[in-house]
Amino acid sequence: MKNPAFIYHRPVGLDETLSLLADVGHDAKILAGGQSLLPTMALRLGPPEQLIDISRVPGLDGISVSATGEVTVGALVRHATVEHSADVGRYAPLVAETMPYIGHRAIRNRGTLVGSIAHADPAAELPAVCLALNATLRAVSTDGTRDIPAAEFFEGYLQTALKPNELLQQVTFPAWPSTSGGALVEVSRRHGDYALVGLACALDVRDGVVASASLAFFSVGSTAQRVSEAEAHLVGSEPSAELFARAAEVVSEALNPAPDVHGTTAYRKHLAGVLTERGLSQATAAIGVPA
Amino acid sequence: MSNTTQQSGLGFVGQSVKRVEDQRLLTGKGCYVADIEPEGVLHAVFVRSPLAHARVTSIDVDAARRAPGVAAVFTGADIVEATNPFPPFLMLPNLYTPLHWALSDKKVRMVGDPVALVLATSRYLAEDAAELVEVDYEPLDAVASISDALAADSEPLWEKADGNVVYDQTDTYGDVDAVFAAADRVITERFSCQRQANQPMETRGSVIEVDPDTGHLTVHNATQSSHMLRWIIAALADKQSTPSSLKSFVANKERRNAFVSAAKDFVSTNADSLQEQDNAGMISQVKADKSTLVHLQRIALGLLGRDNYPTVKAQDIGGGFGAKGSIAREDVALAAAAIKLGRSVKWIEDRVENLTDGGHAREETLEVAVAVDNDGTLRGMKVDLIVDQGAYPGFPVGAPFATRIMKVMFPGSYKFDAYGLRTRVVSTNKGKYVAYRGPWANETWARERMLDVVARALRMSPTDLRLKNMIGEADMPTKMITGPTLDETMSTKKTLERAIELVDLDAFATAKEEAAKAGRRLGIGFACYHEAAPGPPDYLTSVNPGTDALSAETARTTVQADGSVVVYTGQMPHGQSHETTYAQVVADELGVGIEDVELVWGNTDRTPFSVLGTGGSRGGPMGGGSVKYSSRKVRDLINHQAAEMLEASPSDIEIIDGNIHVAGVPARGLSFGEVAAAAAAGAAPTDAAFEATVDYGGHGDGGWSTATHVCFVDVDLSTGIVTIPRYLVVEDCGPVINPAIVDGQVRGGVAQGIGAVLYESSIYDSDANLQATTYMDYLIPTAAEIPDIEVHHIETLSPGENDFRGVGEGGMIGAPAAITNAVEDALSDLGARVTDQYLPPSRILELAGII
Amino acid sequence: MSTTNVGDSLGVVLTINGKRHMLEVEPRRSLSDVIREDVGLTGTHLGCEHGVCGACTVLVDGQPARSCLMLAVQADETEITTIEGLADGDELHPIQQAMHESHGFQCGFCTPGFLMSTVALLSENPQPNRSEIRAELSGNLCRCTGYQSIVDGVETAVSLLNEAQGNQP
Repeated sequence: MKNPAFIYHRPVGLDETLSLLADVGHDAKILAGGQSLLPTMALRLGPPEQLIDISRVPGLDGISVSATGEVTVGALVRHATVEHSADVGRYAPLVAETMPYIGHRAIRNRGTLVGSIAHADPAAELPAVCLALNATLRAVSTDGTRDIPAAEFFEGYLQTALKPNELLQQVTFPAWPSTSGGALVEVSRRHGDYALVGLACALDVRDGVVASASLAFFSVGSTAQRVSEAEAHLVGSEPSAELFARAAEVVSEALNPAPDVHGTTAYRKHLAGVLTERGLSQATAAIGVPA
Repeated sequence: MSNTTQQSGLGFVGQSVKRVEDQRLLTGKGCYVADIEPEGVLHAVFVRSPLAHARVTSIDVDAARRAPGVAAVFTGADIVEATNPFPPFLMLPNLYTPLHWALSDKKVRMVGDPVALVLATSRYLAEDAAELVEVDYEPLDAVASISDALAADSEPLWEKADGNVVYDQTDTYGDVDAVFAAADRVITERFSCQRQANQPMETRGSVIEVDPDTGHLTVHNATQSSHMLRWIIAALADKQSTPSSLKSFVANKERRNAFVSAAKDFVSTNADSLQEQDNAGMISQVKADKSTLVHLQRIALGLLGRDNYPTVKAQDIGGGFGAKGSIAREDVALAAAAIKLGRSVKWIEDRVENLTDGGHAREETLEVAVAVDNDGTLRGMKVDLIVDQGAYPGFPVGAPFATRIMKVMFPGSYKFDAYGLRTRVVSTNKGKYVAYRGPWANETWARERMLDVVARALRMSPTDLRLKNMIGEADMPTKMITGPTLDETMSTKKTLERAIELVDLDAFATAKEEAAKAGRRLGIGFACYHEAAPGPPDYLTSVNPGTDALSAETARTTVQADGSVVVYTGQMPHGQSHETTYAQVVADELGVGIEDVELVWGNTDRTPFSVLGTGGSRGGPMGGGSVKYSSRKVRDLINHQAAEMLEASPSDIEIIDGNIHVAGVPARGLSFGEVAAAAAAGAAPTDAAFEATVDYGGHGDGGWSTATHVCFVDVDLSTGIVTIPRYLVVEDCGPVINPAIVDGQVRGGVAQGIGAVLYESSIYDSDANLQATTYMDYLIPTAAEIPDIEVHHIETLSPGENDFRGVGEGGMIGAPAAITNAVEDALSDLGARVTDQYLPPSRILELAGII
Repeated sequence: MSTTNVGDSLGVVLTINGKRHMLEVEPRRSLSDVIREDVGLTGTHLGCEHGVCGACTVLVDGQPARSCLMLAVQADETEITTIEGLADGDELHPIQQAMHESHGFQCGFCTPGFLMSTVALLSENPQPNRSEIRAELSGNLCRCTGYQSIVDGVETAVSLLNEAQGNQP
C-alpha cells in the first residue's frame, strides 16, 4: 500500500501556486496536511498525477478576527492550532467545540481545517459546520478572487464548487451574536471515528423566540446538508422540548441517508432525530455562554 | 532493567515477574519480519482478483515485465507448474478437501484471490507494475452466503466436490429421539454468527533469502509454527518429478536410513494414536479426487529425495491469534519464485490484503434444540451447525477440524442424557477460514445463549438453571456425554458460584429497576465454559481419533560448557511472553535467576520439532511442561556432577542463585561454570555440558481450564450504543506461572470478544464483495471502548503432576455469550431475542423495536 | 519553487533523535518508509498504512503524527523523535520503565506508537485521569492487551515522572 508516483510541486509563493494551478490544476491536488489525501493515495483510489504542496506558501497560516467578530482561517492552519486558539474559542465557539471530534490528536496535528472543507467528505464535521454557520469560502486563482457561500460550495461526494485552477485560500465564519448558541453532536461507533450521523446546529434566540436556526447534518448523504423544513418549524417559536421533538420528527422525515456497513437508513433517520433534540437543547443551553 | 519484585529462592513461578521481552520491545529493538532487508532483495506484490467468482480467460503480464525495476512476474500458471498443491492435512470421513495451489490460474474463487506475483526492486515499483497486469475474467455466479451455498443450483467452487457442501456429518450420543420425546418441553432457536477477522497488528510477511552458492533457503516469516512452515515449503515450493525424487532417495543411503529410523521412532512413540486411525477419511477424499494420491505421492517422495530443507527463522511476531498458524499460499509462491530466480524476495502483506485474505473466522449458523423438563432439568440437545469456510480450506487446520472440537465441547459443563449434532461445512466465494482464538468458541456462545433462552421460557434465573444442571465436584470423576473424562479440574461450577458472590444479583436487580425509571436499560449476562487445556488423554481421541500425535511439545534444556543455561523450544511465541514464563519455570528448576536463562525459539535449525507451534493454549501446559521436565532432568545431571565434585550425595545438592552447594554449606559452593566445565572437560564453551530433551504431551496430567464471565451492559435506547460498565472473569487455569501475563491473556481475549459482538464484521455483499477492507470499516475496538476487566483466579490443582493449564483462548470463548446474554437481559421487557452475535447500534434499536 | 518529476528525488534534511540526516528521497515515499528504510530505524512500525492504527506514530517537532500519513518531503527541516530516541542509553525513559512495570504490552508491535502518543499526552496533560488516558490513546490500536495494562502503564508513568520531578532540586 504505497503511494503511486506523482509530479511534486513545492511553490513558495501564492502567485506561483496559482500559475501552477492554472497550468496543471486539472491533474493536480493541493497537499496541505495530507490527512485525507494521503490515505486515498496509499489505497491508489483514483490518485492525482500531480501534487502541489502549499506548505511553503507564506500568508496562509493565520487566524484573524475582524473588527466585527468574523473569524478567518487560512489554508495552512492545522486543526490543532484552531483547537487551541483563544480567538476561535471566543468568536467561533461552534468551530472550537467541533475540533475534538476530528479524528485523533495525531491527525489534528497535521490536518488543516481548510483542507478538510476542500476535501468535502460528507461524513466530516467541518463541511456541516460551514453550512450551519453560513461560512464564506474564498477561492483564488489567476482569474481573481471569489467568495463562495457555504450553501453553494458542497456539490456532491468529495465534489465542491472549486474550479481546477482555484485554491481554497481561507474560510470566514460570520460573527457570532451573543444571542446565539451552537452545538456539535454526533454518534460514532468508536471514539474518533467518522460519525454515524452528526449535527452542527446554531440557534439564535431573541426576545424568547427563535429568530434563526440552522441544522446541518453530516453522514446522511453525498454532502453535508441543512434541513430547511425543520429550521422553518423552529423559527418564531419559543424554544422547548416539545418544539425540538417536533423538529426532530421533521428531520427524520426529511432525510434519507443511504445504508452502509455501519448503519441502516432507518437507523440513521432515527439518529438524526435524536441528535436534533440533543443538539437543540445543548444549543439553547449554550446561548450567551462562551465555549 | 529493575526487577524489584523478583527474588529467587521464593520460586519465580506464581510471581508477576517483569517481562524479559520488554528490554527490546519497549525500545524499538525488536526484530519483526518487516525489519529484515537482505542486500538486493526483490519486493513482492500479488495481483489479486477483483471478482469473487470467475474464470480467468487470459492474463497479460508483458507491460508489467517491462515496467521500471521489475525483475520478474509469475502468473498463476507459472506457479502451478512449479509447485505442488496444498494437500488435505487431516482427512475426516465425509470431508472433501479441495487441492489448491499457491496462486490461482484458471479460476478465481474470492475477491483478493492471487493470480500473479510481481517482483521489483522496491515495493513502490512492484505496486506500480502490478497495476499493469491485465487479466480477463469471465464472471461466474457468486456464492456469497451459507444459504447461497446450500441452494441446489449454486455455482460449484470446486468441480470435484459434490456441490458446495464439502462436509456433512452427523454424530449422536445417547438416544436423542427418545429423550426428546420424553422431555416436558423442547425449545428451539437459531443463532447466527458473523464473519470476523483475527487482525493481529502485524500483518503476515515473509522474507526468503537464497544462498547463491548452495541454493539453501532461509525463510524469515511471521508464523506461529516455524517447523510446519519449513516442511510445507520443502514439500510444495519446488515440485520434483516422482522418478527423479525416487532416484535421489534410493541413491542416498544415509537419508534412507535416517528416514527408516525416524519412521520407526514415530510409529513406536505414537502406536496407540496410530492404531485409532482409520482410513475412512482418506477413502472419502480419494473417492472425490483421485489425483490426491498422485500429488501426495509426489510430495512425499519429493521430501524424501531432497538434500536441502529450508531454514525457517521467526523472531519477533506482532500477534497472530491463530491466523499465523495457517500456512499462507503466498509463502509458497514466494519460495517458488525465490528458487526460480535464485534471489531473495520479500513480501509484507498490507492491511487491505490482510483484511481480505489474512484469515476470517466464525461465520456459522447454529440451530439448537433443547429438551428440558419443567423443573429446569436439561435432558437433551440437538444442534444443526453450518460453517462457512470461504473459498480455500485453511491449512493445516481449517473449519472441519474446528467442528470436531465443537462436536465434543457443545454440551459444555452440563449434564445431558442425549445429544446430537449435524455438521455441514460449505464453500463460498469469501476469504479462507482460519483458527481464531478458541476456533470452536461458537459452541459456547450458542449453548450459553440458548440456556438463557431456556431459562426465560421456564421463568427461571439463568444462574439457577446453570447451577441446577452443571456437573460439580460431587459428580467427579465422570465423563462428558461426548467422551472426555472430567476430573476436579473441570471446576466451572466453582467459577460460577464465585462469580455470583462477586456480582450481588439482588443489588443489580435494584439498580436495573432504578435505571429503567430513568430510561436506561441495564443488563447482566453470564457465560460458563470449560476448555481442554490440554484436556484428559481421551479428549483428542474424542475429537478425532489419531490426532494426539500432533499435540506434544519438545524442549531441550542445556547448560553450556561456560555454565550458561540455554533452553530450546518448538513453541513460537508471538506476544504470550514465553521468554519470561519459561525462564521462571527453568529458573525454579535449576536454582538460577531469570536473567540467567536464554530461550531459543523460531529457528528451525536450532529448535526441536513442533507440529503446531504456538496455538491452542498449549504454550503453558505442553510447552511449559516440556521445559519443566527437561530442566528437571538437567538438574539431576548437575546434582550428580556436583555431588561428585563436592563429595556428597546428589540428593543433598542445593542450588540457590546459581550457587551449587551441599545443603547448608553455601560457602563451599560451585558455580554453574565450574560444574559445567568439569562435566564438559575439553569441550568448546558453546557445547552442552548438560543436556536433556523431553517430549511432553500433557496427557496423564490432564486438565481443563474453566471460567465464568459476567458482563454488565448499559444500553442507550436513543442511539443503540452499548457500554460495559463492569466486566468480570472468574477463571481457573490452575496455579498460574505469571499472574500479570495470565491476566493480560484473559483481558486481551475478552477485548476481542467485545469487538466480535459490538464492532467487528467482515461483511460481504450479495455478490461476495468484501465491504470491510480498511480499518475505517473493520472496527478494532480502542482503549475508549474496552472497559477495565476484573480477573479473579481460582487455582484448582490437577490430579497429575504438571499443573500448568492453558489460558490463551478462554477470554474470547466466554465473552460473546456473556455480552449477548447481557444485551437480551437489558432489552427483555421489550421482548427482544438476541440470535445474532453481531450487535451494532442499528441492530440494537431493531431488537428494541425502536426502528 | 521546485518541481520534482516522477522517479526523481528531492533533498530533505531530517533531524531524527537529535541526529541530522541529509537524504535524497522520491517525493511519494512516506516518512515512515524513509525512517525505516533510509535511516534504518525499524522501531517505527507499519500496521495499516492508512492512518488508523497509530503504530507508526512519531513526534514531529514534538507533536505526535502518523508517519505513514506524511511524505518524507513534508517533514523536511523538522525534528523527529522515534521510539529509538526515548531511552537514554541503557536507561529507560520513565514511560518505558512504567510500561515494563505494568506489563503494558504483549507482542510489541503497536508499542512504539503507544509510547510516542503517551509522551505527547503527558507533555500536554501531566495528570490525566483514566478516561482521559483512554480517550487520548484511542488513536492507537492494540489487539493483544485489552488496553488495561497500557492505561495502568500510563498511570504508573505519571507517578514515575512526578517522582523524578520531585527529586530534582
